[in-house]
Amino acid sequence: MPSDTLEAVSEIRELSYAEAVREALGQAMEADERVFLFGEDVGVYGGAFGVSGDLVHRFGKERVIDTPISELGIAGAAVGAAITGMRPVLEIQFSDFITLAMEQLVNQAAKIRFMFGGKASVPMVVRLPGGSGTGAAAQHSQSLEAWFAHVPGLKVLQPSTPHDAKGMLLAAIDDPNPVLIFEHKLLYKTKGHVPPEAYRVPIGKAAIRREGTDVTIVGSSIMARKAEAAAERLASDGISAEVIDLRSIRPIDFTTIAESVRKTHRLLVVYEGVKTMGIGAEISAMIAESEVFDFLDAPIIRLGGADAPIPYNPVLEKAAVPQEDDIVTAAANLVRRGEA
Amino acid sequence: MPIEVILPKVDMDMETGTIEAWHVKEGDRVRQGDTIFEIGTNKAVMEVEAPASGAIRNIKAETGVPISVGTPVAWIYLDGEAATTPSEPAAAAATVAAATSLSQAEATAAPVIAAAPASSGLRATPLARRLARQNSLDLKTLIGTGPRGRIGEADVTAALILRSDPQDRVSKDVPSGSVASTSILRDAANTAPQDEGSGKRDCRQPEGRLQPFSAIRRIVANRLSESMRTAPHFYLTSEIEMSAARDLLGRLARRHERIGAPKPSLTVLIARVAARILRDHPVINASVEGEATRFHERIDIGIAMERDGDLVVPVLRDAGAMDMPAMTREFARLREGMAKRTLTPAELGGGTFTISNLGMYGVDAFTAIINPPQGAILAVGRTVDKPVGRNGEIVLRPMANFTLSSDHRIVDGVAAARFMADLREALENPEVLL
Repeated sequence: MPSDTLEAVSEIRELSYAEAVREALGQAMEADERVFLFGEDVGVYGGAFGVSGDLVHRFGKERVIDTPISELGIAGAAVGAAITGMRPVLEIQFSDFITLAMEQLVNQAAKIRFMFGGKASVPMVVRLPGGSGTGAAAQHSQSLEAWFAHVPGLKVLQPSTPHDAKGMLLAAIDDPNPVLIFEHKLLYKTKGHVPPEAYRVPIGKAAIRREGTDVTIVGSSIMARKAEAAAERLASDGISAEVIDLRSIRPIDFTTIAESVRKTHRLLVVYEGVKTMGIGAEISAMIAESEVFDFLDAPIIRLGGADAPIPYNPVLEKAAVPQEDDIVTAAANLVRRGEA
Repeated sequence: MPIEVILPKVDMDMETGTIEAWHVKEGDRVRQGDTIFEIGTNKAVMEVEAPASGAIRNIKAETGVPISVGTPVAWIYLDGEAATTPSEPAAAAATVAAATSLSQAEATAAPVIAAAPASSGLRATPLARRLARQNSLDLKTLIGTGPRGRIGEADVTAALILRSDPQDRVSKDVPSGSVASTSILRDAANTAPQDEGSGKRDCRQPEGRLQPFSAIRRIVANRLSESMRTAPHFYLTSEIEMSAARDLLGRLARRHERIGAPKPSLTVLIARVAARILRDHPVINASVEGEATRFHERIDIGIAMERDGDLVVPVLRDAGAMDMPAMTREFARLREGMAKRTLTPAELGGGTFTISNLGMYGVDAFTAIINPPQGAILAVGRTVDKPVGRNGEIVLRPMANFTLSSDHRIVDGVAAARFMADLREALENPEVLL
């Protein structure tokens, strides 16, 4: 087939977020026999959210392994496998269950490279379906990414599009260090352009989803998508919002945020995790401490999750995290009135 | 630093609230979370809690009086803080007037600055401070339009443009749809170069030249749109004989020459007459403040003028207390200050009533848009000899049209008509002013 036809095909090809993750897993496993999947119900059942799908049939039970219900066991086995040279990719069925694996991730995976002077490393990837909006209540709906962004030695990603979900997962599998990828459950069915080849999206580089001049809205994962939709509505109201999709929480692309705020003079940070002590606090402080402080024309505003467990009641569940309307209102108030 | 207790916004569309009852009195000790007063809105009564623990001082707000949201009503002095009286706002009375029509976007915002204790300092954004620093502008001369009187970039830019020469205001072609800042702001802020011009240029080439609003034009546009949108205007027109006023002006000119005062103009005479009769019409010398009428004690008359294509309104401060020579001198000073750009924003706004005279351009009559938050504006047309009936005969008399635009939220038709009747009487028989 001539190459221009290939390109034409790749331009129009759309996949869902879940399909894009599956394609990345399949391509990584084809390219490198050290890569294997590990998790509860990732095999025959195809994963709680259908992400691993038919991979068990393509690669067999030796490489797509159903584990007992023990997150600590899964994580410990993955750390061990990674140290001995394998490239484990584990799925924590709901990101909330990561609490059971904290010891292995925080005290072992994150530390080993440093404590052994670089003689050992832990090239493992943890995929964590997270976030609210599915009626799964307080123990299955959290956004705990900030916990891990607090730990040196871990990388924390939050891709928002099918394109990034694939490219960042492949980059994470390549990475010689432990990487956690938080995948928002509501994004799994969203569709977008995904090139068929095995491409990489660099870790630690934010994407400017929309350029604007009046206010910078920073978000990641589903909040980046909500911010984009909000920016569209703000534009029809005469407000030009710049939307930055962080993609990576740690390392964080401070330069892109700072350059944007220098231009727009206003910053709104949106995140689904609990507002208090969250990612927004870090970004606000980074800007306030930097030379960009002198370019602020309004207070930095955070829109974050409520200081409460995610409610089961669907109305309250929606109210507990920032929605598109909240972003529109906060950004418009910030631009027009100088406060949120 | 004492903690400011403000009248909070407890309802989405709330602009003013009324303190129904104070639960504390001057000097009381409160703990954070204690109820300190009850606030009434048009929907409910709510309790307001102390934002900090300490001693309540300088309770400023009375019960039962509507107060703008964000206004400080008391201060909490923390332990160890000298409970001296904060510099009681000497400017408090002046603030209403100083709430300039140029820099005051929200009538409720401006008075707060001067009302704060001296120790709480000036409110300005980092960007405003940077711009002021770079342009050697004293922020204390500005009035902020942001929340609680905060000075922002737009306030500084407006002040810089007022100060600048018109040549500096280079218009810039901007692709439609992008938000334009004025070039002076770019230079002043010394920001990194931006690519407003590159990138997404609209492929449809629109016809003509697109000139972004200057900061002043933006303020004028916002304020007048706001006025037309929120103030239900109504208009009363009177055709008034100007023979007596004309004679009086001639006599005044000779007298002013003798005492070395500038020659009086018809505009000043009308301002003088209006200032005198406004004393008897408090509702015309009033402003809208949220859901309340602010009756001004002082009469500050703004005179609409044009400078380099911009509408500016210098104010004859305390016009009610000026005699004709004093007002003529003050008017001459304002005109000169405007031409030389030495007037401060405070001198360019905050009137309680406005006069716009387009008679010198041959305009017969017109209706003016009220300068918010004022309640009325007087539009003056040219004086021209017209046939009128006098004692059963048709005679020629110098006549002029006066049109009063009033905000029907605070001024009723009869009140406006009474003002117009007094205006006619005073202009046609100036001796009634004696």
